[in-house]
Amino acid sequence: MATSEPRVVGKSLPRMDGAGKVTGTAVYAADFALPGMLVGKVFRSAEPHARIMRLDTARARALPGVRAVMTAADVPDVRYGGALKDETVFARSKVRYVGQPVAAVAATTPEAADTALAAIEVVYESLPAVLDLDAALAPGAPLIHEEWASYTAIPILHRDGNVCNRARIVVGDVERGFEEADRIFEHRFRTGMVHQGYTEPRAAVAAWDSSGQVTVWSNTQLPFEVQNTLAEILQMAPSKIRVVVPGIGGGFGGKLRVGVEHFAAFLAKATGRPVKVMTTSVEELTAAYPRQGTVVELKTGVTKDGRITAKAGRIWFDTGAFAGSGPGVASVATLVLAGPYKILNLHLEGFAVYTNKTNCGSFRAPSGPQANFAVESQMDVIADALDLDPLELRLKNIVREGDEGPTGQVLQAVGLEECLRKAAAAIGWQDRRPGRWRGKGLACGWWTTTGGSSGVYVKINPDGTVALNTGAAEIGTAALTGAAQVLAEELGVDLADINVVSADTFSTPFDFGAQGSRTAFAVGNACRAAVDDLKRRVFALAAAQLGVEPEACRLADKHVLADGKRISLADLARLSQQTGGGLIAQGTFIAPPTAYDSKRVDGHVYPAFHSPSFHAHAVDLSIDPETGDVTIHKYVVAQDVGFAMNPTYIEGQIEGGVAQGLGQALSEEIVYENGRVLNANLTDYKMPTTLDMPRVETILVQHPSLVGPYGAKGVGEPPNIEPPAAVANAVAAATGLRLTSLPITAEHIALALRDAGA
Amino acid sequence: MSKLALTLTINGERHEILTEPHRTLLDVLRADLGLTGTKENCLEAECGVCTILLDGAAVNACILLAAQCQGRAVLTIEGLARNGDLHPLQRAFIDHGAVQCGYCIPGMILSAQAYLEEHPSPTEYDVRAALAGNLCRCTGYQKIAEAVLAVARDRSARR
Repeated sequence: MATSEPRVVGKSLPRMDGAGKVTGTAVYAADFALPGMLVGKVFRSAEPHARIMRLDTARARALPGVRAVMTAADVPDVRYGGALKDETVFARSKVRYVGQPVAAVAATTPEAADTALAAIEVVYESLPAVLDLDAALAPGAPLIHEEWASYTAIPILHRDGNVCNRARIVVGDVERGFEEADRIFEHRFRTGMVHQGYTEPRAAVAAWDSSGQVTVWSNTQLPFEVQNTLAEILQMAPSKIRVVVPGIGGGFGGKLRVGVEHFAAFLAKATGRPVKVMTTSVEELTAAYPRQGTVVELKTGVTKDGRITAKAGRIWFDTGAFAGSGPGVASVATLVLAGPYKILNLHLEGFAVYTNKTNCGSFRAPSGPQANFAVESQMDVIADALDLDPLELRLKNIVREGDEGPTGQVLQAVGLEECLRKAAAAIGWQDRRPGRWRGKGLACGWWTTTGGSSGVYVKINPDGTVALNTGAAEIGTAALTGAAQVLAEELGVDLADINVVSADTFSTPFDFGAQGSRTAFAVGNACRAAVDDLKRRVFALAAAQLGVEPEACRLADKHVLADGKRISLADLARLSQQTGGGLIAQGTFIAPPTAYDSKRVDGHVYPAFHSPSFHAHAVDLSIDPETGDVTIHKYVVAQDVGFAMNPTYIEGQIEGGVAQGLGQALSEEIVYENGRVLNANLTDYKMPTTLDMPRVETILVQHPSLVGPYGAKGVGEPPNIEPPAAVANAVAAATGLRLTSLPITAEHIALALRDAGA
Repeated sequence: MSKLALTLTINGERHEILTEPHRTLLDVLRADLGLTGTKENCLEAECGVCTILLDGAAVNACILLAAQCQGRAVLTIEGLARNGDLHPLQRAFIDHGAVQCGYCIPGMILSAQAYLEEHPSPTEYDVRAALAGNLCRCTGYQKIAEAVLAVARDRSARR
């Protein structure tokens, strides 16, 4: 690591891909096209749960311009998935949600494809549909997957009928903990299903070559996972499948798993032409990978002076017709339910539950907002009941440096108290109810920096510029600008000297992908490792040229310096091209495992938070008592980012994460009625606009992590976690009403006020 | 289906186009002319990523028939930078960190451009109201509003 004052890291430098994005020349997957390309579209189930009695595509196949129509009969009979392999490309024998793929068509024009979809004939025989968690968990509930026990799953999972995982954390003796309590609080919370809302639809173009290799250009966040999933689905070797990410218009977890890539690949194979498949808004809001709706039950025991003695909690995720990310999300949730609190007795369970709805997935901090909403809402109820200030109650119970996390991990670099105090000060916490119908709310939390490995190649060009070749995709966070800042710092070059090549499973090294707040962290560290490798080569070359010892060499100002002599990296790269094939280095990184007590967990896919971050949010808002409308006056986030690699883009992550969080808090929900989505359009699915968003004040707290580059921690997901709880607490302060269901719409507030006789 | 012969003026350049009457400007821009800086998403004029300027007014190209653009001036994001120099709004969006994934940004910049031409001294609320038809899911809009206001201030200072 550089010893002098940083030149590049920690600076608010402009992102490297900005000019292409503002001029419209940046190519996204949705923009990608090939000559002769056909249009692919998907025919989807209109029934939530039904047997397919007849499926006839003959009329569709015969239409002009139609080049292929495919159904389950035309693809390998394979079940795929992550922790649990329960999904098929097309419905076989029965459909399990409205929107499930049943067939796909490829045609010369979008109009011909639409006509073909309309000509597909299907006859269903309805089955009893399981429309919510209560119905799915009821004794004798219809099974969504009658054959669930035969599915392949990782052995950790605990499955039973409609429950596709039960994860558990048990610490101490929760019953004894409740006996020690003076007061016990029990609450039930509910949260709605919400969509990531990326502005670029999921899109993929596939083309096969004469050697039997397929290339898929897609906006996936995880090209290497999609490559492997496609290999399973297509029943061919991953080495024959090339996944390239041209550019991504937002993902937020919704573009992790295979989305439309497999349809494009099958249709391209069947037609011998490139095929592009791109989702519509209706498909996004009925058949994507949204955040699971949940029900949470929490029971917390406290002494009268506010010390938490025990917590029992259960969270049920409505994961839809297939497991998706559910088993893992249910696991992570238990760590969020524990909260960033020191509690010696815990009994926490997360359940992923099948219903006849769309397959839910991962959305920025999966499980975070739902579990945190419950935990932090209840903290305020407890504070009020004990006549304690909510800030004081939190400060009495939060984890601090060296404390144990719920599963026994030793917590380091814990900046939570600083976050809470700074957020509270910035919102003016001493005056929590500054006026009639006005109140302030606070919420805090913790989150992980996801592990997984990253590799990079670094090449010095003969003009002295540097190519950074990474398997990670830039989804918009500027994480690869952050990683390049690390590389520039360590190499002694400028950020402008670096060019990034990314996300091509044939030519870039492996990367675990743009997920879990890990990209700048892991790719940044891989860059450091590559520079170590490069130094050995460069210093050996330079030493021979300068007549010095390699040990005397150091990198600075685009040169190797030693004993008062210098030679430029450009000269060394040219020299190496003449003699040794050029200057190339490799760097890899994997986060070291976080030690935890395995006896405390069961059915758990994610037992510890790596390099955890800590954060506190505070909001000041007013309620219109007539309409229930919420006006946010101020929103503050204090987040422990470890080290602020690029403060501008960290602010951007925080402002954007709060926007999504406020959407979930106040307006967003995919509303189902009888198994059908009522609001599958962007007018009725209400994401915040410019006029809905308050200004967000960001306070960067920096307790350096021991692992991340320069002490950085994962940044991207956390800002999405606390907004619902902070808002609910502020609404309670403003109105005296505790709303326990998300979203807290104006209508819900107005109705609650009416019911309360206000 | 019979086709229409259209002459479209896009970014100051005349294009002779033969297309079906039902096709939108967005289709023609992206599929026929390869101008993919105008983005595609909801196709119902709800998200604003396809915003272009039609005779200077910000319009959603997804619900605008190409045939309606005959004889009118269409400006897309590709036509905003002049002689290789970024337009002040483009520069400001980069400098203020207003660009994340960037998919909404061409539409956002063109909406801002149309507004600032008519309203040289906006407040932050004015700017936000002008951009309310352009959804962005990455930024929370704060840095976008700051970028647009900075350009407005800079223009006023030069007057």
